[in-house]
Amino acid sequence: MKFINLLKKELTELINKQMILGIVIMSVMFAIVGQVMKTSIDEMSKNEYKINILNYDETDFTDSIFEEMKQMGAVINFIDKNSSELSHSEIMKKNDIENLIIIPEGFTSELLENRNLSALEAISVMKSSSSISTMTSSTSGGLSLMKSVIGNQLMKHGGFSEEDISLVQNPFTVEEVTVVSDKSAKISMNTILQNISVQNMIIPIIVFVLVMFTSQMIIGAISTEKIDKTLETLLSAPVSRTSVLGSKMLAAAIIALINAVLFMVGYYLFVGNAMTSAIESEGLGNLISETLSYDNAMKQLGLNLGIVDYLLVGVQMFLTIMISLSVSIILGAMANDAKSAQSLIMPVMMCAMVPYMISMISDINTLPSVIRIVVYIIPFTHTFTAMNNLMFGNTQIFIFGIIYQAVVFVICMFFALKIFNSDKIFTSSLNFGQKSRFKKI
Amino acid sequence: MDINNNVLEVNGLTKQYTTVLAANNISFSVKKGEIFALIGSNGAGKTTTIRMISTLIKPTAGDAIVNGFSVIKEPEKVRECITYLPDEAGAYKNMKGKAYLKFMAGLFTTDPATIESYVQRASEICGLKERLNDKIGTYSRGMIRKLLLARAVMTKPKLAILDEPTSGLDVLNAMDIRKMIKRLAKEEGTAFLLSSHNMLEIEFVSDRVGIVSGGHLMTVGSVDELKSRYNASNLEEVFERVVVNNEIH
Repeated sequence: MKFINLLKKELTELINKQMILGIVIMSVMFAIVGQVMKTSIDEMSKNEYKINILNYDETDFTDSIFEEMKQMGAVINFIDKNSSELSHSEIMKKNDIENLIIIPEGFTSELLENRNLSALEAISVMKSSSSISTMTSSTSGGLSLMKSVIGNQLMKHGGFSEEDISLVQNPFTVEEVTVVSDKSAKISMNTILQNISVQNMIIPIIVFVLVMFTSQMIIGAISTEKIDKTLETLLSAPVSRTSVLGSKMLAAAIIALINAVLFMVGYYLFVGNAMTSAIESEGLGNLISETLSYDNAMKQLGLNLGIVDYLLVGVQMFLTIMISLSVSIILGAMANDAKSAQSLIMPVMMCAMVPYMISMISDINTLPSVIRIVVYIIPFTHTFTAMNNLMFGNTQIFIFGIIYQAVVFVICMFFALKIFNSDKIFTSSLNFGQKSRFKKI
Repeated sequence: MDINNNVLEVNGLTKQYTTVLAANNISFSVKKGEIFALIGSNGAGKTTTIRMISTLIKPTAGDAIVNGFSVIKEPEKVRECITYLPDEAGAYKNMKGKAYLKFMAGLFTTDPATIESYVQRASEICGLKERLNDKIGTYSRGMIRKLLLARAVMTKPKLAILDEPTSGLDVLNAMDIRKMIKRLAKEEGTAFLLSSHNMLEIEFVSDRVGIVSGGHLMTVGSVDELKSRYNASNLEEVFERVVVNNEIH
């Protein structure tokens, strides 16, 4: 009975409005992330093996390949070759398709009679660098399926010598072309992805670390000073409140930046390298003949970022830190004790976590508009998507993001200064509905 | 009372929160070298009054003049003349005692020699000796209080405001602090504004006492004056009659 009594007391202490609010926020967060996941995965499964073929080699052999592919679940859309006056990317635009595999004339005879490798051309349109949404591109899946089907067909034909085994295993080469808006380059989308995905994963991680560090530091610094009453001692000394606040903000920003740099270097050296090699080994490997260097291809596709772009991302990161600092000052001023100080970090954490998780699994710009607007209301989202938006030419969203963040910062800082320069720094508290005896008129 | 000799003049100081009138029209003065104690029950309005004089919170009405400067119009000037020790205050646990004193001294002056002299003075007053080179996190509550008190008087302020100066201290340490307050007031002319629950301490240390109840300053006088006015044998009896029976003489 004594234990029950103790348990009841512990539960009463633990189950409070902060905890319930936490659960509600967490549920909402999971609902949003879940919805995003569902949209992306639905899209992906819808596109699985949905292949567009432009066949210049209409033979019984190619027909039988496509028939077998269809039997294996592939959805094949044949593009009319009579529109061949248009360039391939124009054909894709006209037919509103994101991938196209081109079978060259004489493909069958080269393969069956001459036992020579022929080069297929595979064109992919790249709209974002987000991992799951790019997986919806079915070029690689289609090529792999075609490779195994042709292999099977060749086996059925028989009459292959030992030397021809490699031909059965790899019956064609692929010349991959990637299209970004109206530009194209002879490079595989996977090659681009494996390079930019590392860089695009670092940014959200750095932003997340920055937001968490700065918030935790400022909330901790202000609430500890408030609880220990060292803030009263400090503010009764001949120093201005603005300089006390400024020094706290600057110190937190410096520490956060040092941490971000260290984290970035560490991440790049260890995880980054490991991931690149993992992606390389999983790629189509010898199927793809790259004809352009990565750097040149990026330039040709307009995906390379210049100094101005990096500066703009820097500005956005700076704004992100400043927003987290000013919000944290407001939250830190509301702490009454160590326990409430800990739970105050939660709103900031959620605001960083939602766009972080979403940007990891999907391209925010392709989400349904209601979810997209909700996610973009969170100011940190704009930083998570900054690189992607700049790379893929969504400049308007990027500029809007910077302006929006600047406005949010000014508003938050205004309230933070107001609180710090008034009695509220001593009398504010987050009571969740309890009546505060210090409410001012 | 010589008005020009007043370090602190409190005139109708009032603080109104939504539902609570924390301080209502409080007026008193403290002379140079005088020890003035505010006594009252918990929530009576002592700390609110002290916080307004320390420029931490703004009065709703009234004003307090410290060394000729208004807490409303010139709070920066006021802060140069005062030091404040909050009740149950802590210090930065990761700082060493000496570093803390140096840091706090640096808020009052930028001259390194003056900072050094402040630190030297505080080191002598607090009596913590070698322990000043240890982190504050390793100090006992009594040691922290001594360090903070030394910090509060090291800059020779015109007015030292001490909220419950001996709370958490054992009998001997508390006696040391009381003696120190009396000595500094007498020898250096520092004015002290104290708040306390300990009547024995107040009887021993203060020159004059103000009893606060329900946000009002009910009565002011020296301990002997109050005892004779209320025909009481000790200050506790006076306090009870003022706070419980609302007797005002």
